[in-house]
Amino acid sequence: MTDVVASDPIDALPKEVSAAARGRHLVFGEIVSLYALSIAGALLLSGLLVYLTGGSARAVLGALLDGSILRPGRWGLTLGSAAPMLLVALGTIINSRAGLVNIGQEGQLLLGAAFATYVGVRLGGENIGQVAGFGVLVALLLAGGAGGAMWAAVAGALRFKRGVPEVLSTLLMVTIASNAVGYGLKKDWLLLAPAGDRSNRNQVSEQLAETVRVKRVTVFGNEFPITVFLAIGLAVVVAFALARTVPGFRLRMLGQNAKTAQRAGVDSARYGMAAMLLSGGFAGLAGAVMLAGGDFGNYQLVPGFSVSIGWTGLLVALVAREKASAAILVSFLFAGLRTGSGFLAATGVERKITGVVQALLVLALLIPPAFLYIRERRRALNASKERI
Amino acid sequence: MAISESASREPQTSQQTSQQWLENEPAVEVVGITKRYGQVAACDSVDLVLRRGQIHGVLGENGAGKSTLMKVLIGLVVPDAGQVIIDGRPSVITDPIDAAAKGIGMVHQHFSVVNALTVWENVALGDQDRLNPQAVRNEIGDLSRHYGLDIEPNAIVGTLTAGLRQRVEIIKCLRRSPRTVILDEPTSVLTPGESEALFEGLRRAVEDEGMAIALVSHKLDEILGATDLVTIMRRGQVVANLPTSQSDAPGLARAMVGRPVSLRSERMLADRPLADRPTQAERAGSKSGLPKPVQKTASLEIRSVYAQGDDGRSLLNGLSLAVNRGEIVGLAGVEGNGQRPLGDLLSSLLPVSQGEVRVDGHPIVCGKAGAMARARISVIPEDRHDSGCVLEMSVAENLFLADPTLVSRRGVVDRRKMMDRAQGLIDRFAISCEGPTAPMWSLSGGNQQRVILAREMAHAPRVLVAAQPTRGLDVGAIEYMSSQLRQAAEEGVAVLLISTELEEILDLASRLIVLSEGRIVGGMDRDQVDIEQLGLMMGGAGT
Ligand SMILES: Nc1ncnc2c1ncn2[C@@H]1O[C@H](COP(=O)(O)OP(=O)(O)OP(=O)(O)O)[C@@H](O)[C@H]1O
Ligand SMILES: [Mg+2]
Repeated sequence: MTDVVASDPIDALPKEVSAAARGRHLVFGEIVSLYALSIAGALLLSGLLVYLTGGSARAVLGALLDGSILRPGRWGLTLGSAAPMLLVALGTIINSRAGLVNIGQEGQLLLGAAFATYVGVRLGGENIGQVAGFGVLVALLLAGGAGGAMWAAVAGALRFKRGVPEVLSTLLMVTIASNAVGYGLKKDWLLLAPAGDRSNRNQVSEQLAETVRVKRVTVFGNEFPITVFLAIGLAVVVAFALARTVPGFRLRMLGQNAKTAQRAGVDSARYGMAAMLLSGGFAGLAGAVMLAGGDFGNYQLVPGFSVSIGWTGLLVALVAREKASAAILVSFLFAGLRTGSGFLAATGVERKITGVVQALLVLALLIPPAFLYIRERRRALNASKERI
Repeated sequence: MAISESASREPQTSQQTSQQWLENEPAVEVVGITKRYGQVAACDSVDLVLRRGQIHGVLGENGAGKSTLMKVLIGLVVPDAGQVIIDGRPSVITDPIDAAAKGIGMVHQHFSVVNALTVWENVALGDQDRLNPQAVRNEIGDLSRHYGLDIEPNAIVGTLTAGLRQRVEIIKCLRRSPRTVILDEPTSVLTPGESEALFEGLRRAVEDEGMAIALVSHKLDEILGATDLVTIMRRGQVVANLPTSQSDAPGLARAMVGRPVSLRSERMLADRPLADRPTQAERAGSKSGLPKPVQKTASLEIRSVYAQGDDGRSLLNGLSLAVNRGEIVGLAGVEGNGQRPLGDLLSSLLPVSQGEVRVDGHPIVCGKAGAMARARISVIPEDRHDSGCVLEMSVAENLFLADPTLVSRRGVVDRRKMMDRAQGLIDRFAISCEGPTAPMWSLSGGNQQRVILAREMAHAPRVLVAAQPTRGLDVGAIEYMSSQLRQAAEEGVAVLLISTELEEILDLASRLIVLSEGRIVGGMDRDQVDIEQLGLMMGGAGT
């Protein structure tokens, strides 16, 4: 009699705990392998596509890896491209946590870059000193943020004063931004560089002066702008602010139950507007960082300057599932595709293939969670069927 | 498919089935169902048999596993062990659509209607075929008549009272002509009259059509009055299974909670003289010869408030009322006469076009985010998922929604403090959950209600507005809540109790006021209650 009774309570507990722990390990390993499988699948599909269009998948993969991390100096370049993507993603995370859908980062980024150019060029002359130059750099970064925030603010005001869905207004304002910046690049008094001795006046702005540019550091032969640290630091700040601060708590409350939030003192217009401003501000800052960082063009504004970094940042936020910490990794991955595609020319494969690869990767990263859920259910159901 | 099939269902089905079903033949059998969530066994080898021609009551404390068991039958929860046998055949129910195909329908504890749509649109939602609005409307008409569930098919669901919204859910379920119907606390939002009508309709369906019905409820008199059999669950297990005729309310309560409970209905019936009733009556000075209350200014004062809805309908129509420190004022009235707007007004959710709200003499801006909460007006809202909690957040976060500064320093939330304080409240209010970090959605309905109670009562309110506060609570919890309300009043809180249950008001309040068409039409002291006159007032006959 003592056998059964005594052994049961003593043994049962640790057994159960260890079983649970084992289960957790198993699940973790499973999740990792599932992601690996899913990504491999996407790559395989991409390879097939390359093969069908007459290229060599192996060469393409090699080129992508070479171009993004393996060749000397390339991962520095990838880091430099990842920084603005990460910044855009951070802003996106803030507005989606507040329950708002801002998809106009591309335009906000461009406008931020334009504001930054204006401030950087007007305040920073040819022979400005180190200290003053740094001051101008800070001013142009802030101006970039302000420009993006202003653009998002228009959509925010339309949303909270007139009830216009922000998903529409932000999107439409991308086109307006690109036209407005195009216009600015045609006018001397705005952004167009002085004619100098050039005969045909392209639509380009003046270059930023040496001292106004972001300092670049070299680590193991990889050069990148120090704004990379700024972006990562901001990711940590955003993650902390959303998870642990009172305003972050209130913002999440608003996103999840606006009525409860209203009762608890969260004014949807005020907090929503703040979220829009921050979101646009981050995109604008990304534009300024691109301008002064040196990885995107020649420290000057040109038509089409934003090169889809705004859209990509949006994808980063989507794939990172609104987690600022995850966005750091995802932005590096997407930036790698971008820098890697620079090496594709030698393989004879169209550069645009990376767009397809990127899309497949997005799908590959979104599938595992859904798959896990469905499989869990199916397993349970099958188990019930077997019991019959 | 459902449309054409059931457009002419009503007269025929009752004839057809009456020949097909056998008295007390099992419709659905549950054998050894177990479902675990982490360390918690929500259901622990549960057996249950639902028979044709019977209404089967399911009773149990909050978190006992009733909803989980019912969700197994509808295919929302896949059990870890055990099986379901439908009409003698072991079956696996994969999802609610599959359950419907197997003749099982359910009305859920929480609303699943779409507020922006009309009644008939909600009912037709999920139909596969081409929509025929007129056919759906006709069907709704047939069902309403057959089951005594009157409703206007073209009304927008969001504008309906909770009771009517519940009706939409019930009609939605019955329209698929289920042979087994599961009702999870269907009457918690219905008035006694509405409940009675519903049970009459169900009884007819059971007797004429051989339906099998499972009825989950916390209302003992309802279980006693409407069911044939009762199953009592405690901590995931079935602890009793008996014919209703052999049970009584105290016995059921004891079996459920595991200790004797003083039931409200008993207290009401106990032939105590009214003078011995709660001391607040004396505090409020309603008893002649006793000193008037020290505090003369009302804690909560609402002065001729007018408010309109988005669609221009008048919601509050010159409402004035005052609640003094330390008294419990019961607001009686037929649902839909302004109870919800009043709750919204005091939750900063409703701006006014005229009039004002004062707390301790200070005017409070209406409709401004957080203004009422800052003036320390606590509200237990009538629909907990609508404005009472955030389901995606943790229990701890939900406990500090209104004032996170209580557990934060310089704008940063102090996790340890938050968890400690939350654990304290979880213990005090006996909230059953996996811990402070459990997401709110994982709690049972009654435990969600307890979280809201804990939050609203714990942080020293001046005014406590309790709208249908016992909705979804088990008898033990109702007892606790009642004592908490009394204690709050004794500590000087002004309590406004909004309830459609007269019994509840008579039990707790020291003074009654009656709401009709958005304003107060009269009032009386608890010890001078004249039920007949009260009824007239509630009907809008005025004073
Ligand atoms: N999805 C879930 N995840 C974790 N725990 C859950 C989940 N669903 C239910 N539970 C737990 O299972 C237990 C039983 O819950 P259930 O909803 O069945 O209770 P109930 O009897 O319906 O109670 P109530 O009367 O309050 O509605 C509770 O302790 C609850 O916290
Ligand atoms: Mg329940």
